[in-house]
Amino acid sequence: MAVAREFEYFRPETLEHSISLLGEYGENARVLAGGTDMALKIKQGVETPKAVVDIKGISELERLESTDNGLHLGALVTFSQVMASGLVAANFPLLRDAAATVGSVGIRNRATLVGSLCSAVPSLDIGPALLVHEAVVLTRSAGGTRKTGINKWFTGPKQCALEPGELVTGIVVPLPPGKAGGCYVKRGRYAGKDPAQAGVGILAMEKNDYRVAFCAVGPVAKRAPSIETCLHGQELTDPLIKAAQALVPQEISPITDIRASKAYRTLIIKVMLERGLKTAVSRLKGKPSAHGAIWI
Amino acid sequence: MEAMEELKFVGKPTPRIDQQEKVLGAARYVDDLDFGPNLLHAQVVESSLAHARIKKIDTSEAEKLPGVVKVVTGKDFPYHFGLYMQDRHIFAQDKVRFAGEQVAAVIARDLATAKRAAKRVKIIYEPLPAILDPREAVKKDATLIHPELGAYSHVPWFFPKPGSNIAHWRKVRKGDTIQGFAEADLIFADTYRVPRYAHCSIELHGAIGLCDHSGRITVWAASQSPHTQRHIFAQALAPLGFTHQNLRVITPYVGGGFGGKAGVTMEILAAALPTLVKGYPIKIHWTREQEFYNTYQRPALVGTLKMGVKKDGTITAFDYLIHWDAGAYVEYGANVVNASGLSATGPYRIPNVRIDALCVYTNLPPGGPYRGFGYPELLFGVESHTTRMAQQLGMDVVAFKRKNAIREGDKLPYGAPMTPNGLTECIDRVVKTIEWGKKEEHSDPNKAIGKGFAIFWKAPAMPPNAASSAFLKFNEDASVNLLISAVEIGQGVLTAMAQIAAEILTVPPEKIRVESPDTDRNPYEWQTVASHVAWGTGNAVKRAAIDAREQIFEAVHHACFLEKDALYLEDEAVKCRTQPGFALLLKEIVINGIMVEDGTYRGGPIMGRGTFMPRFTSAMGDPDTGQGGHPCVHYTVGAAALTLEVDKQTGRMKVLKAVEAIDAGKAINPQIVKDQICGGLLQGLGTVLYEDMRFDESGKLLNPNFTDYKLPTAMDIPDEVIPIIVETPQADGPFGARGIAEHPTIPAAPMVANAVCDAVGVRVKSMPVTAEKVGLALAAGQTEVE
Repeated sequence: MAVAREFEYFRPETLEHSISLLGEYGENARVLAGGTDMALKIKQGVETPKAVVDIKGISELERLESTDNGLHLGALVTFSQVMASGLVAANFPLLRDAAATVGSVGIRNRATLVGSLCSAVPSLDIGPALLVHEAVVLTRSAGGTRKTGINKWFTGPKQCALEPGELVTGIVVPLPPGKAGGCYVKRGRYAGKDPAQAGVGILAMEKNDYRVAFCAVGPVAKRAPSIETCLHGQELTDPLIKAAQALVPQEISPITDIRASKAYRTLIIKVMLERGLKTAVSRLKGKPSAHGAIWI
Repeated sequence: MEAMEELKFVGKPTPRIDQQEKVLGAARYVDDLDFGPNLLHAQVVESSLAHARIKKIDTSEAEKLPGVVKVVTGKDFPYHFGLYMQDRHIFAQDKVRFAGEQVAAVIARDLATAKRAAKRVKIIYEPLPAILDPREAVKKDATLIHPELGAYSHVPWFFPKPGSNIAHWRKVRKGDTIQGFAEADLIFADTYRVPRYAHCSIELHGAIGLCDHSGRITVWAASQSPHTQRHIFAQALAPLGFTHQNLRVITPYVGGGFGGKAGVTMEILAAALPTLVKGYPIKIHWTREQEFYNTYQRPALVGTLKMGVKKDGTITAFDYLIHWDAGAYVEYGANVVNASGLSATGPYRIPNVRIDALCVYTNLPPGGPYRGFGYPELLFGVESHTTRMAQQLGMDVVAFKRKNAIREGDKLPYGAPMTPNGLTECIDRVVKTIEWGKKEEHSDPNKAIGKGFAIFWKAPAMPPNAASSAFLKFNEDASVNLLISAVEIGQGVLTAMAQIAAEILTVPPEKIRVESPDTDRNPYEWQTVASHVAWGTGNAVKRAAIDAREQIFEAVHHACFLEKDALYLEDEAVKCRTQPGFALLLKEIVINGIMVEDGTYRGGPIMGRGTFMPRFTSAMGDPDTGQGGHPCVHYTVGAAALTLEVDKQTGRMKVLKAVEAIDAGKAINPQIVKDQICGGLLQGLGTVLYEDMRFDESGKLLNPNFTDYKLPTAMDIPDEVIPIIVETPQADGPFGARGIAEHPTIPAAPMVANAVCDAVGVRVKSMPVTAEKVGLALAAGQTEVE
């Protein structure tokens, strides 16, 4: 497929070189990692960068390792690597389950988790999982390094807190304070690859502490504080779920597009919340439950 | 006909003869062909508007770009073309009629340059009102999309209405519908809607054209219709002096057709452009996006169906008013409307019938053939409606359909008698396999299970004289090259034809090489469409093999003085019934002849030929009633059912089990027939559960990609699919065979709609039947979805 657009292509070998290139070109530079999004955007003319900085040669960005209090995922870690990682499976099964719903096998083999955070689409499957795990985004520029909480990272549809001249070097995902059970519930039009039309990530923790986040039902993936407050400290019962469902409309602002209507997103997100909560709690309690994300 | 029990190759699940080539990557497709460093590339400039007058085209900036060879516009080719109605131009002339239509093309040294230059072509338009809805298009004050309609040439069985947007109006009037409705105890009417669909072959459209310095054009095209393409090219380019003998179409392997590569769409560019740059091959290859909006699309329809039935379930009257959104050009699509309109009742015996099938111009991409050729669209309404009427009568749905199912000899809507068929056997075997009537409960309280059932038919839609032919030549080792022009589009035609020739000649199929079409070398074939090649080309191949056998017997007769009637072939040898010890190996005689006592030879290279053209079909029906003609060679019938799981809270569906029975007459290759049933059923399930084309208010396609055009994946296959082959012989088919290729798709849509209604009580009257429609209806307590 011929791409009839011209740009300067760089493949720096060091982090320092990539930072200096990004500093030099500023807003006119784009970073290439997996390229599943960026290559398409350039082909379609949505992005017209003067410089493309390919970071695949920078080996330190490939790190996927434990830290003192959690997990470090470098900017080159792909969704397939997230799915295959024993570290992720042991402590962050929700991350693994959400990663498994992204795109197709071919996409997941190339696409990076960090790249998807930079694309920042409203339907970001990995968004709810990172939000409930309170991940931190690590960026670096000529001016130094910066840490941004994931809840402040998404600033609008396809917009994030990344500054010109900055590179996301990775993310850190802290361990939950104690035992936890997670569940990602995704609405897709069929069993194949599909951008979520609605998504709910739940983390149920000890002492009836719950974290809830949504994607694809508003301009950005986000936590649902009113629902978390409603649930806090209480055993999960049908009346409690009903009360939580009643708060859904004030936490979401869905749109109608080619993939789903506002009415349908509003309807199913409540069903998804219920099923997600029940499954997460059941997993927290160690009861046998179906592995992986739930497709609606 | 040969006695069935003696068949050695036909009816056997023979491995595909092209499988090794394909698995090893040796099989070459259009995009694999290498034309060397002189190959030029063409990129089209597309209309950004759905309906507009072209005020000015400025190509000067494009021409300045280094590497650009030529920029071509409508002025270079002011010629019409089309299969059944010549309403298209090679490039838009004074007007564009759909978003994406080719207005100009850039020919350049490389594709990137061609793309860049195409962006520099400036077109100034004066917008015209775009009509996207066929029922709007037929209103009195609607803008005319083709004011020149009256001047277009077309086949005699089309009835355009100049001064309107009605390109063709197929009318069927049988019996007396007023009387029929008067006799009914229950009359029920409703409206059904079917959107547009895309074929989505894995291989995109592509073609390479070369006009040599002597003025001879060769086109290599991914095509279902090499000879028909040659003919259309010759018609379109006749003003430039080109004739059939100066045109050649070569079709290598084709990666899927489904109707999308029938007739001529973008290939016209590969024939026309090279005439301006002689001596250079020019390649034009669609992108996946172009594949969606500038080839044929399956046309959309709105159909209002009214039926009358007696208390005992007898159907007394049928009235179907169908408005087809056939798009900006209907040169092929009008025949979809025509053929399916003649059989719009579905496979039912109905004494009083009124059908109005209107082929309506709109400012959407051209509608055309798609597997099923109008029948899946029409039967979505019919098979939903008959199910609902049975339920209103309090009758079992299957009992109602079986009672009214058409039988051999019953009068068809246009008056001719119904052909032999095993419809009731198909019904009975499906019903047994799906355990019809047995209600199933889901272990999950949030989910319900329903069953859906549908019957179907389809006849090949062909001109009455659509012909096939075959040419068969022996090699020294008694292997065979079989030359046909039917195209292998994945349906297994090469293998089936080899089996037919093998059966006559006793040469095993693996020794028969079936050659892909080259119109210079291979004999005539109308098109690889209409599920007709197993039947039509099969007959031609059988005749060619018999012709070759006769030549062999003739040579043996002259050389050995044996009566021809006593000779027969067995295990690649000529044997004699009256002389048990006699045997001449084919490999010793089929090229070199037979030496007689004086050292001279008899016989010689054996070359068989066979042609086939239906002799009993005619399109001479009355324009106002459809009566009197004999437009269809035969009908292939079937029945299908499925078990569907529906989530009562979200509407999400899953097919648990599907059963489909089709009467193949004789399955030449039962394995391929079963594969076709499974594949076709899945394609049909895709159209009902996931796919549809969405356009914005200006007529621009919103989902020309697989992100939002949801073609089912391997993960969406039903848990269980059971194909059933029924065999009621087709008297004029090769070994009793008739076509089954399109048919498996037909029942999918109505049986899903019927199963949803059975599971959760929601009747969806428009395709696709999505989780969203069902889920929202359930939440709102609605029982019908428009």
